[in-house]
Amino acid sequence: MSFDLYVARSSWLHTLDPRVKLLFVVLSTVLLLTLTNLYLFLAILALYHLIIFSAGIPVSRVRWAWRVILPPTILIPLLWPLFYQEGGPVLLHWGPFRVSAMSWWEGVAMAARLDALAFAFFTWLFSTDQTSLVRGFVRLGLPFEWGLMLTIALRYVPTFYGAFVTISEAQAARGLVIPRRNLVKRIRAYLPILVAMIISALRTSDKLATAMESRALGLQGVKRTCLRDIRFRPTDYIYTTLLVAVFSVLFILRFQFSFGTHLLRLF
Amino acid sequence: MSAVVIVENLHYAYPPFRSGGEPLPVLKGVNLRIGQGEFVAIMGPTGAGKTTLCLALNGIVPHSMGGVMRGNVLVAGLNTKEHRVADLAQRVGLVFQDAESQLFNMTVEDEVAFGPESLGLDRQEIGERVEWALQAVRMEDFRRRPPFQLSGGQKQRVAIAAILAMRPQVLVLDEPTAGLDPIGKHEVFAVVRELKENLGVTIVLVEQDSERIAEFAERVVVLNEGRLVLDDEPRRVFAQVERMHTIGLAVPQVSELAHRLNVRLGTDYAFITLGDAFAALNERSPTFLEAGRSGRANLSPPLRKGSAGKKDCEDPSSAQPCIVVKDLWYHYENEAPALVDIDLDVADGDYVAVIGQNGSGKTTLVKHFNGLLKPTRGQVTVEGQDTRRIAVGELSQQVGYVFQNPDHQIFAPTTREEIAFGPRNLGLNAGEVEARVEEALSFFDLRACAEVPPAILGYGLRRKVTLASVVAMRPRILVLDEPTNGLDWRSAMELMGLLAHLQAAGHTIILITHDMRLAARYAARSLVLHNGRVLLYEDTHQVFAQQEVLRQSYLSPPQITQLAQSLVPCGLSGRSLTVDEFCAEYLSP
Repeated sequence: MSFDLYVARSSWLHTLDPRVKLLFVVLSTVLLLTLTNLYLFLAILALYHLIIFSAGIPVSRVRWAWRVILPPTILIPLLWPLFYQEGGPVLLHWGPFRVSAMSWWEGVAMAARLDALAFAFFTWLFSTDQTSLVRGFVRLGLPFEWGLMLTIALRYVPTFYGAFVTISEAQAARGLVIPRRNLVKRIRAYLPILVAMIISALRTSDKLATAMESRALGLQGVKRTCLRDIRFRPTDYIYTTLLVAVFSVLFILRFQFSFGTHLLRLF
Repeated sequence: MSAVVIVENLHYAYPPFRSGGEPLPVLKGVNLRIGQGEFVAIMGPTGAGKTTLCLALNGIVPHSMGGVMRGNVLVAGLNTKEHRVADLAQRVGLVFQDAESQLFNMTVEDEVAFGPESLGLDRQEIGERVEWALQAVRMEDFRRRPPFQLSGGQKQRVAIAAILAMRPQVLVLDEPTAGLDPIGKHEVFAVVRELKENLGVTIVLVEQDSERIAEFAERVVVLNEGRLVLDDEPRRVFAQVERMHTIGLAVPQVSELAHRLNVRLGTDYAFITLGDAFAALNERSPTFLEAGRSGRANLSPPLRKGSAGKKDCEDPSSAQPCIVVKDLWYHYENEAPALVDIDLDVADGDYVAVIGQNGSGKTTLVKHFNGLLKPTRGQVTVEGQDTRRIAVGELSQQVGYVFQNPDHQIFAPTTREEIAFGPRNLGLNAGEVEARVEEALSFFDLRACAEVPPAILGYGLRRKVTLASVVAMRPRILVLDEPTNGLDWRSAMELMGLLAHLQAAGHTIILITHDMRLAARYAARSLVLHNGRVLLYEDTHQVFAQQEVLRQSYLSPPQITQLAQSLVPCGLSGRSLTVDEFCAEYLSP
């Protein structure tokens, strides 16, 4: 069990500076949140798939990503019309609920926007290992200690998950049964697991602090260096320029000409 | 030889648990000088102050721990009082027992680079050091792998490399192989020896395994109750068998044998390795043969009687099996099968040792006995019930499972509450729960800490609390996953004695262990697993007689059995599993 989505390859996308990819994610997010056109959402989603596949990410990984975002993709178009009742022909009328064609399409667009957003992040996370990810943040000004904290948090996810499984098993072997239905009882039954988790996490963090100190962390008067520092290479500049150019055009279209603000009409 | 480590009259007390309490003295006047390039092993029972001494060598004691320190520690000329831990890191490197908490990076390379990066070295220098350190521990092919996915032995090697990369003159290792399987232990010891021999690194190694110490160390320092009680070459230290046992420590089996023979025969043997013992006893063989030949015919019967006592009630043909495993296969998700076509019975009241390397399927197999895992294919029946049709909670009445790490179980505010948890889950009434807790407290001699939070007890006591809390549920079958891990010799023997008591009272014991001496001494039957298959499952004497088969799974019999086997040409049966059995055979007519 790990939160590491990284797929080890050496494609153009993988070798890109993590800061360029971060810029891509930020710009994509802003753009997607300002657009409202369904066709654009679908086009962007398709483009992200092209990028992901061109970086050699296997189909199985993309299928996994779709499985993760499938529930909201289905639920949003179903629930959207119940809360936002737009005009247009009424498709369904039931009690206080009125489902109009417009509101249904809007739900579909919302789902497509969410999927496109998710894939912007997947593009980044599939192609960036956690070390570069954190180093990217640090180079953008995040203090090293914060970066280290983030690395350690990511690093210990599988460890703590493993401890959780083992502790649950150890308590189950002592006859602990977690009740299925009653929520209060359920929370109480989890106490022996949670308390043991906390105690063992405290022990680990205590040892971790000693171990880091033994590795000269916090040496006075010395500026920390870095074995694999990230550096902007010519290709990184090219991609950054490209990225900025494309997004500038899109933003100008969006804000000067209201391009992509109509739900179902492009022009 | 110039001293690289000088410890002068070191006193240290940890800060008290509760504010206003008394400081807890651990070191009470330690004097120690270690020369450049020496290989010193530190032994001592739990609580003797071994870890504290290690921490004092790189300044964590007292800088990060607080507490009260008197005396001086000088490492490579630096007084630890005057220098911070991070400064000392370039002089003395510390490798800890727990690999999981000292490997905190995403990749092996980042892990090893971390120290040099903290030292502010330039990139090229860091690159060279990482390369060199990884080669020194032979882990250069694992550069991009996340450390937590490695095996136990590999993790410790990475931890050693991470320290080496800071180029310390002294390498201090605090029980680096506790909890590793035999292969992992071997890997780590081989690397440590190379560091000393090829690179001249001074090694200070805390270790419980006296047989390894005898093989590797030039000097043994014994700590007891915060004081240095023995400091000599291994041969002289291990000759003091009774003294070591009084302190609570083990000596190599051959040293114990030498001691027994000296007492009985008036010899002056001082064996510390298998080679020593073989050379001496092999030489003596002619007289032994003469004396022995005639008596040889009736040598075996007393021996068999001796061991039959252990097995009276365990003849598998006479007892009902309490666990039946049929065609068992088990797959973890998306992985090669962890168990392959396992067929076996465990007889009621039997004592079975489960041995094999990590990843051989030991834990996976025994987790089927209490239903934590359900067969992918095949069937497991416990006391006549199919484990697939019964919940873990219900099975816990029949099968008690003591997990490897006591801290994966301890949660209650008092020891009494901890023990009461299981019986309460069984739905027993308050009076019965009370009675069982009282019984367990007395049986495990835990009354003194009944009202104390178990989490703050020492490791040995925590281990006992977890065992007590499982036994209080009165399961017929007890499964224990490496229960003696991290215990000193005396505590391990005490624990094994308690298990033997439980078996005598009718419990079935299933013991996973990496300590072949324990399997040999206590288990009537041994089960050898290798790559998810049963390699051997028979009488322990038969199992350890099959060296060739054992070798397939990188296991070897206990030292004393190896000695007996090598002396077969001299007329010994080669079946001895313990020093007792060896002496009985060797000394009878």
